[in-house]
Amino acid sequence: MADRKAEIRSIIKDTKSLPTLPGIITKLSALAENNKASVNEMARVVSSDQVLSAKVLRLVNSPFYGFSGRVSTISNALILLGVNVVKSLAMSSSIFEMMEKNFLGLWEHSLGCGVAANIIANRLGLPDIEEISTAALLHDIGKVIIKIKLSDDYSELLSLIKEKDICMLDAERELLGSDHAEIGELLARSWFLPEKLIEPIAFHHDVMRSSTQFAKTSVVHVADVLVKCSGFGFSGDDYVPRIQPEAWKKLDLKEALVEEIVAELEDRLVDCRNFSLEIQSGSEA
Amino acid sequence: MQKIPINLAAAGMVLAKDVKADDNPSSSPICGKGLTLTASLISRLSSMGIQSLNVEGHPVKIEGEMSLDEALAALEKRFSKVADDALMLRLKEIYRRQIVRSMGDNNG
Repeated sequence: MADRKAEIRSIIKDTKSLPTLPGIITKLSALAENNKASVNEMARVVSSDQVLSAKVLRLVNSPFYGFSGRVSTISNALILLGVNVVKSLAMSSSIFEMMEKNFLGLWEHSLGCGVAANIIANRLGLPDIEEISTAALLHDIGKVIIKIKLSDDYSELLSLIKEKDICMLDAERELLGSDHAEIGELLARSWFLPEKLIEPIAFHHDVMRSSTQFAKTSVVHVADVLVKCSGFGFSGDDYVPRIQPEAWKKLDLKEALVEEIVAELEDRLVDCRNFSLEIQSGSEA
Repeated sequence: MQKIPINLAAAGMVLAKDVKADDNPSSSPICGKGLTLTASLISRLSSMGIQSLNVEGHPVKIEGEMSLDEALAALEKRFSKVADDALMLRLKEIYRRQIVRSMGDNNG
């Protein structure tokens, strides 16, 4: 099993076939640190990549951000959402596209999870709402890597889940000696993502291991569970995982509030479903 | 009540909720609930960027959509691994109520 782990590690480290982040992210980071950079300059940087701009605008206008159909330019997005959000959008739209192509059910699950995290963070009045949503959007990135880079194992995982009637996480641990959270963490570190994003990706199944981002990790964990409760999308198995009481306690969730969150989430998931159908019919055409 | 994408809306359907210009709940509505839709109203709303409407009853049958009983059975199945957990049972109950609320007029 230890060999297997080392093998997975080396597969992740072999960056040649690993999806890369666009160079624009680095440029944007540099500009964002320079206080004198204007919104126009930043808009120019993003707009210089047509494909990326299109992807960013599509994500801004998706039900994920709730600005449906109203943001038409990158500078508009920068003013409305701020530089950090556009930066994380540029990043997640690239990763998200890779998910959409390879793994529609997971893409839907991730979109739903981003929406759920957004609602929870909003209702609880937490800071960094956009970052929490982005973390939720990316929380299962490890599964994409398993599917793309360990495709034989992936089919074996699916049969194992069926045969033993277990959840994806247990099947991964049994077959790979690792799991998507750990693999996602490796990837996130190799991309030098901020800790705010790494911890929710790494610990969304084990919130107590989160050291500095406990609240964010808890939101992503609860969002993941709620979307599984809804049965929206497909993340490898159909079972609702147990909510970790520590996360529940940390967020101080009361039943009446959860009821409101669920109602809002279900309403937004209808939009997500339509968005997904639109995309599917668009890609067939 | 059913929430439908605006391209599936048809004349004669009745709004079950106010239509608002954006997601800001405090903005004033463009159309009030109870209003019967017409073709020209639908195209006007559509050109204003409205993407979905909540209408009375359950006029649109979406492919693959479950009946209330099927939806509740699927909910039970999803929760089958955590049936021994008190917190999860409470959560399941919240979802059960939500499903009944949103699909209650489905079978009528």
